[in-house]
Amino acid sequence: MRFRKSSGGAFAIALSAAFLFNVPLLGAIFNSLRSDEAIASGALVWEFDSGFTHFQNALGAAGYDFPLFFRNSILISLGAVILVTVLAVPASYAVVRLGFGGPWILRIAVALRVIPAIFFLIPFYLMFSRFGLIDSIWVLILVDSFINLTLALLIFANALAEIPLEIEESAAIDGANVYQRLRHIVLPLLAPAMVSVAVLTFLFTWADYIFAVVLTASDATTVTVGAANFVTSYGIRWGDISAAVVLSIFPPLIFALFAQKFLVRGLASGAVKG
Amino acid sequence: MIPRTRDSRIAAWILTAPLLAFFALMLGYPLLVGLQTSVSRNQLSEPIVSFSGLDNFFRILTDPDFWGSIGFTLQFAFVATSLQLVLGFLLALVFDRKIPAKAALFSAVLVPIMIAPSLMAVMFRLILNENIGAIPAVFSLFGAQVSLFDPAKVFPLLILLDCIQFIPFTFLLFYASLQNISDELYEAASIDGARYSSTIWRIVLPILKPAIVVVVLLRILESIRNFDVIYILTGGGPGTTTQTVGIFIYKTAFQQGDFGAAAAASVILVLLLAPFTPWIIKKLSTSEKQ
Repeated sequence: MRFRKSSGGAFAIALSAAFLFNVPLLGAIFNSLRSDEAIASGALVWEFDSGFTHFQNALGAAGYDFPLFFRNSILISLGAVILVTVLAVPASYAVVRLGFGGPWILRIAVALRVIPAIFFLIPFYLMFSRFGLIDSIWVLILVDSFINLTLALLIFANALAEIPLEIEESAAIDGANVYQRLRHIVLPLLAPAMVSVAVLTFLFTWADYIFAVVLTASDATTVTVGAANFVTSYGIRWGDISAAVVLSIFPPLIFALFAQKFLVRGLASGAVKG
Repeated sequence: MIPRTRDSRIAAWILTAPLLAFFALMLGYPLLVGLQTSVSRNQLSEPIVSFSGLDNFFRILTDPDFWGSIGFTLQFAFVATSLQLVLGFLLALVFDRKIPAKAALFSAVLVPIMIAPSLMAVMFRLILNENIGAIPAVFSLFGAQVSLFDPAKVFPLLILLDCIQFIPFTFLLFYASLQNISDELYEAASIDGARYSSTIWRIVLPILKPAIVVVVLLRILESIRNFDVIYILTGGGPGTTTQTVGIFIYKTAFQQGDFGAAAAASVILVLLLAPFTPWIIKKLSTSEKQ
């Protein structure tokens, strides 16, 4: 029997898990909100920093480049969302509905998930430095789109397979051509899948570290690289580091929490089905 | 599938052309560059790149550090995946019950999925820091010491951190699959007198088997490409004891400047995965059954 009754034990386990998974974030928030004096006097000492000094410092008051890193991460993540959608929606429609290329394109997409992304690290670096394109946000948009395309193709293919063919057939009889059907019938029905892909692509692009380390120097540095460098180079500015990390985490976190339903659906659809 | 007409065939090409062009640029060309580099003497210190045959492959295949990194990667992937599988499943069973404030707790458990692993790693460094970290402070109240620099504790700590980052993911996939099991099935089992544990063992687990296989594959593949967290936390140290194959490739290229050897190591890594690839593709191909 499935336990439908409320259970104190289950609640306690769920609560502890929810707490444990958030310990690192709570620690960073704790340090970002307490004063430098409190930080200096002990790991567990609390004194509220009412001026939010650490956040002001992280946002530029202390001369760090974090505002630039922020701008870069946002532009790169949005750019990847747009490029992935523009590339994957029409192509998966052609593959699933028009039978383009048989199963090959989806097989390539799955095969790409087997090849570790690190395989592309050296080729991308050599290729983009040959073209003199290191440290450009455009390059990171291309690379992150490439990394996220496979999941997007699988999610769109799954979603398209669920749209009844009859809707399109009756539109075809009424004289709608392929593009009209895609634009006016399929696209609106694909909207939930497009939100899923947008959330996941945004999250994973924001999360990229290794390609950003290798393919940027300073102008196109992202928040992940900036935060990691911050820990090593400004070793003792603990409050500022914590505030910078908290600020780096919140944009995608809030976006994803609002779109949690689509995040869950996208991950489940891209990973587990049938 | 829509019946194929001449128009729809042309449309299919037009709609797929941007993706094919993108794959040519970002997949085809880099593959060629990677293969070419793997058979070249390509070092940062030397301006001239020259053909070197299989020299890079011999050097990597006889490098104990490379095999050490493969061994560590497999060990890490095995331990982390097993724990994440079991604990993620148990947590999914807990959330499958009726609990107060379920929606809020569910969101809270999912938070690590929404945090970049590298930023998580930075926060781990802060919380484990001997001066400001809450964890060493709390443990020292009980007279225990926790340090990332202690060779005996670094592996369990890295596993713990990986679990915090990825149990939410295994949990989510299992929870989503559990929702597909109907109440009737549980009722039927209960009418037949099955206990909860045997219902889970004999009915739920067999139904979830395809999901479990996919979760295992995704987690192992993800673990193989693990770079961010371990690199930020330990840099592969102490020594090379926590060097994943990703860190090995990165260091070979960008610290030693030996792009040829790093490219060869990348090719060898893919070749090591190659025997399993058709099977993995079959298991992960879910959308071909229309």
